[in-house]
Amino acid sequence: MRPRVAVAVSGAFALVAALSACPANTGGSPSVDSGRQPTGVIATDPKDSTGPAPELAGARRGGTFTVLRETPISHLDPQRTYSFAGLMAVPLVARSLTTWKDDGAGNLTLVGDLAETPGRDVNDDCRIWEFTVKDGVRFEDGRPVTAREIAYGIARSFDPDLTGGPTYLQEWLADTPQYDTAWDFTANRGSLPPGLTTPDARTLRFEFARPRCDLPFAASLPSTAPLPPDRDTGVNLGNAPFSSGPYKVTRYRPGIEIVMERNEHWDAGTDPVRHQYPDRFVWSFGATPDAAANRIIADNGTDRSALSWDYVPASLVARVAGDAALRSRTLLSPTPSANHLVINNERVTDLRVRQALNHAIDREGLVKVLGGPHVAVPMTTLMPPATIGHRAYDAYPAGPNGDPDRARELLGGQRPELVLGAADSSVEQQVATQLKGNLERAGFVITIRNIPDDAKFDEIKKRGNPWDLYLSSWAGDWPSGASILPVLYDGRAIRATGNSNESYFNDATINAEFDRILALPPSEQGPHWARLDERIMREHAPVVPLYVDVAYLVHGSKAGGAFVSSVFGYPSLVDAHVEP
Amino acid sequence: MAEPCGLGSGPSLMARFLVKRILSAVLTLFAVSVLTFLMFFALPRDPVSGMCPKNCNPERQERVRQELGLSDPLVDQYAGYMLGIVTGRDLGGAQGGRCDAPCLGWSYVNNEAVTDTLVRVVPVTLSIVVPAAVLWLLLGVGLGLVSALRRGTWIDRAAIGFTLAGASLQIYFVGAVLLLVFVYTLGWLPVPSYTSIFDDPVRWAGGLVLAWLSLALLFSAGYARLFRAQLLETLNEDFVRTARAKGLSGPAVYGRHALRAAIAPVVTVAGLDVGAALGGTVITETTFGIQGLGRTAVDAVRAGDLPTIMATVLVAAVFVVLANLLVDLLYAVIDPRVRLS
Repeated sequence: MRPRVAVAVSGAFALVAALSACPANTGGSPSVDSGRQPTGVIATDPKDSTGPAPELAGARRGGTFTVLRETPISHLDPQRTYSFAGLMAVPLVARSLTTWKDDGAGNLTLVGDLAETPGRDVNDDCRIWEFTVKDGVRFEDGRPVTAREIAYGIARSFDPDLTGGPTYLQEWLADTPQYDTAWDFTANRGSLPPGLTTPDARTLRFEFARPRCDLPFAASLPSTAPLPPDRDTGVNLGNAPFSSGPYKVTRYRPGIEIVMERNEHWDAGTDPVRHQYPDRFVWSFGATPDAAANRIIADNGTDRSALSWDYVPASLVARVAGDAALRSRTLLSPTPSANHLVINNERVTDLRVRQALNHAIDREGLVKVLGGPHVAVPMTTLMPPATIGHRAYDAYPAGPNGDPDRARELLGGQRPELVLGAADSSVEQQVATQLKGNLERAGFVITIRNIPDDAKFDEIKKRGNPWDLYLSSWAGDWPSGASILPVLYDGRAIRATGNSNESYFNDATINAEFDRILALPPSEQGPHWARLDERIMREHAPVVPLYVDVAYLVHGSKAGGAFVSSVFGYPSLVDAHVEP
Repeated sequence: MAEPCGLGSGPSLMARFLVKRILSAVLTLFAVSVLTFLMFFALPRDPVSGMCPKNCNPERQERVRQELGLSDPLVDQYAGYMLGIVTGRDLGGAQGGRCDAPCLGWSYVNNEAVTDTLVRVVPVTLSIVVPAAVLWLLLGVGLGLVSALRRGTWIDRAAIGFTLAGASLQIYFVGAVLLLVFVYTLGWLPVPSYTSIFDDPVRWAGGLVLAWLSLALLFSAGYARLFRAQLLETLNEDFVRTARAKGLSGPAVYGRHALRAAIAPVVTVAGLDVGAALGGTVITETTFGIQGLGRTAVDAVRAGDLPTIMATVLVAAVFVVLANLLVDLLYAVIDPRVRLS
């Protein structure tokens, strides 16, 4: 998952916040359930994967549900979408092999979506998987969805022209990260990638060279959405995706608006998760987070049935949190986006220095700088609390404000000179300045070097980069340690550029542990990842865990049913409805 | 003997004047295009990174670089880009295939031809700027006129006070206050948005009126002060005194002589302002959440969307150059000495 780009707070709208920062009623602000323990299971009973989804009390059909968002969705093409907005929007128009039943409180069940179950591990070794496609699932033109269209959808994700989407299935099928050189989609449009077959119209079969126990999770991403070859418009598919979900795109104005209206061929009886309550969804782009929040707070006209996609900006948090009348119109939830002060382990090789860094940080002060507990919650683990099996611990207890004395003690009189690379965005500059203060009071000498914001993402992924420390965030593609720890800390994957392992941490024993746990059935992996998380921190301290993002959203008085996805930390719209 | 006045009396001079100005405009645009193109390569972000998949490696980057033609000599790339504007070009499958003229490249962020983006956002900016410019000119010149004619009275002082306030305000303040009052609190006006004037003129005006008012309030201040000063100076000129001495009526003196002379600097400033505003009213567009040319340019910079950056800079330059050309022409109409110089 790409790290969420921090949204700079617009000075222009701080004014409105100031002018309107008079809460009507201060009845105490809601607090984040930061200690919630997620549960996650893979459904074993096929009944869990059948529809219809249970009706929501009070929900009715009809109306227009509007989503206000500042920036457009980068791709609506299921095989290309990978932004949070895309991952939450695309399921309205495209179904995938599996999906998550989510109560919005961290209780998750992986169920079959197009498939009857979340997959069958044929030999119980995670190498061969079969999915049986449900009867009655259809495209927007009424033709049935078969295994062949699902296979074609996966095959087209090998097309190097279709940039942007996740690459798990391609890499696993081709058994190499260079999947598009192993199988050329353009030259083989009539066939399927190696390891992917459709023995019959309802069976999809994956055969991997190595155990891929996380396949049912990976299959929940939109890249397993079906597409008939005759409806493949290449890079233009995102402008008019061919629907298999409850809605279809009826109007697409890039950068301005997307309108989704009911797909009459969607059968609720086949869908365990989605509803089809509103007549239409309108995604409206352009309003800044401040403007969108102000519109929602004003609750006029069509904004009454609207949701502001972007989190409440820091300039308005105090007002929204302090207004009891808005309480019923807010969503507040910790997200899976974990933020770390990454230590470049190839430059900072002394474990005691890395441990001292961990002791030095004033997390409470950092949260204040970021905007308070409605924006961020401190974290001391590698995996965010929203991960299945997560176990809280603090390997370097330093209290809420850090322990500079202990850090100094670990440094033993040294004054390490470290370079902190920070993006030149306003938020990151504030955070970097705060961290510099924390570290210097503990005896470090910190130099902040600015990195152009749009280049930082690429630059810190280059091995041999010139910074000792930098800020980075990560949210797994599914709430399992498998999509976090091996991705970020398996040293065997380090290459010249494009590294997800931004700490350049590499330890043979830990790498072996990754292999061991990844070969376990996914339902058993949770506690193992939690133990490994703690072990990595205690033995190696490759990063300094800082905080998880908090989702804080406002919606209109008639916008019902939206909840914060336990998987992605952004609004899920499968239950959305317009209240009378 | 003096040269005769009027456009019709010097067509060859006027033609030469026009040709000179147009050539100058073309030269300016050429320079801007070269600089913009070089900027493409000077920016820290590698254009390949946007096109390369997540697990990009040097080999894959090189392949994308070849596909984008980024390994070709700079001169060839520039020539291909400029030729594409005139004839269109084939961008390859990853960039939507054939790109018809005027082809300004493919945005891998918006996933569409940059020309399509511009076709969508330029009318938005035009819809904001042109009516706003009419408003700010009417308001500014009107206030300046009243202020000059009622010099020293309370009307003059009120007008000067208004202009001082306007000149010291910022669009994000005025816009935010107008939004807060008229949209969020009173609900008298719809949330700012853009609707094509050809689809629904009422919604078009309703969605943009706050942006017009904000811009007019701010810009008119400068024009009022400029026009007042010019008019007062002109009213002390000998030719005005002569006109009065000849017995011309007040309206004739002001309308036919003084106003025409005093308006020339206003035209100059207006041309520059309108050109710059058309190039991107980014703060106005951001304040009101409307996606025009300015906001598109800023979004492109944020996202490292280099083809869109190039195109928006070029289009903005075209607006500024055209506005200057128009000013030169108007100047020639207003003041014959210009085309004779």
